[in-house]
Amino acid sequence: MDNLGTGLTLMLVGMVTVFAILMIVIYGSRLLIQLINRIAPEEQAPAKKESASPAAVDANAMAILEAAVAQITGGTGRIAKVTKI
Amino acid sequence: MEAIMDILRKLYDMTAFSNLIEDPAFLLMYLLAFVLLYLGIVKKYEPLLLIPIAFGVLIANFPGGEMGVVQADPQGFVTLPDGSREIIWDMPLHKVAHELGIMNYLYYALIKTGLLPPIIFMGVGALTDFGPMLRNLKLAIFGAAAQFGIFAVLIVSLLLGFTPQEAASLGIIGGADGPTAIFTTIKLAPHLLGPIAIAAYSYMALVPVIIPLVVKALCSKKELMINMKEQDKLYPDTMVIKNMRVVKIIFPIAVTTIVALFVPSAVPLVGMLMFGNLIKEIGADTSRLFDAASNGIMNAATIFLGLCVGATMTADAFLNVQTLGIVVGGFCAFALSIASGICMVKVWNLFSKKKINPLVGATGLSAVPMASRVCNGISTKYDPKNHVLNYCMASNIAGVIGSAVAAGVLISFLG
Repeated sequence: MDNLGTGLTLMLVGMVTVFAILMIVIYGSRLLIQLINRIAPEEQAPAKKESASPAAVDANAMAILEAAVAQITGGTGRIAKVTKI
Repeated sequence: MEAIMDILRKLYDMTAFSNLIEDPAFLLMYLLAFVLLYLGIVKKYEPLLLIPIAFGVLIANFPGGEMGVVQADPQGFVTLPDGSREIIWDMPLHKVAHELGIMNYLYYALIKTGLLPPIIFMGVGALTDFGPMLRNLKLAIFGAAAQFGIFAVLIVSLLLGFTPQEAASLGIIGGADGPTAIFTTIKLAPHLLGPIAIAAYSYMALVPVIIPLVVKALCSKKELMINMKEQDKLYPDTMVIKNMRVVKIIFPIAVTTIVALFVPSAVPLVGMLMFGNLIKEIGADTSRLFDAASNGIMNAATIFLGLCVGATMTADAFLNVQTLGIVVGGFCAFALSIASGICMVKVWNLFSKKKINPLVGATGLSAVPMASRVCNGISTKYDPKNHVLNYCMASNIAGVIGSAVAAGVLISFLG
């Protein structure tokens, strides 16, 4: 009987603590998110755009590419964008 | 003639055969080791852990090999090979290595001190993404509900005659978290470490079998068809995370502080988990630490943990009724944890307009990320477009924190 008492006490304390901690984590995180939304709202966009500038290939190479595409597609294809990988 | 017989007898004594004839129980242990090796290698049940454990079992059960862990009695006494008895805590480590063999040296230095589980937790943290949980914070509460199995089995095993410490170690299997189970057992009932670790990791490996079993018994098809994305569209969450990177960096620091204030005994686990996560989220500046934590250190720790846990399973420590109780009790703890998570979702759905798929409750026990993957498999079986993986991950990761907190409570009350 004494054991049952110990077990029930542990269950009560344990479950209440687990729920309480996770509630605190949940509401704490909500608070944290709101705070960060206010202080540092913008995620820094990765500075990647520059590499996709028109000068990805020089004019000479571009002419060759255009000629190749025109040859393969029978003049119907066109190069919209050239990106360096 | 006499001299030759004498040499032959000595040779016979030198081999392990003499011990085998004296005590055939060792044969059962070899069989167990072979079965575990088979499960790990062929069936691929958690091979990273099961194979070191199984090999540990094998090498521990050759008495002359001195690779089996010698457990100290409750007063801390161990029997040395020469028959004398000494208190293990008074023996310097080099003496432990000399008198009892290197496996005992590893066991008492790395396991008995409670060193390895937190180290592994650091690696787990480094491999965990808290993003899904932060995006669906409400679902994290089901990670708490699913800890019920721990305490239910604790009560039942108390009534069956286990001591409170043993019962707590048995119940924690229901947390479905290997390092947590091992850490708790080391602190409370180290003599049960072997069977409890085996039960915990085997049931984690059996998650793809156990979860569908419990889900089928408790959930209707209609409930399993609940589409969380549709529900999100119907009742959109007002919270938007504008800067996830900063949130993810501050989150581990904040959680560690909160948990440390309320349940200090859970800090070795939660603290290391969050530290591992922090060095991951910071990114390039700590990438070398992240690499060490998630690769080198984690892998080395896993090897030593597995071998030492296996080596605790010597014939006389393993072959008894308690082991059977642990295997059965562990399964009940596991199934009850899944069931209580599901039940809490059902209760929630009674009161809330925004319905939740009960599978999210089923993943409240840890076993990250296997439980979530299994649940996603179940939901897509009923509706191929219904992916619940991200929602399940929310309660799944919360379950890791939940079971570590539950372990902290048990350790501080019973330790």
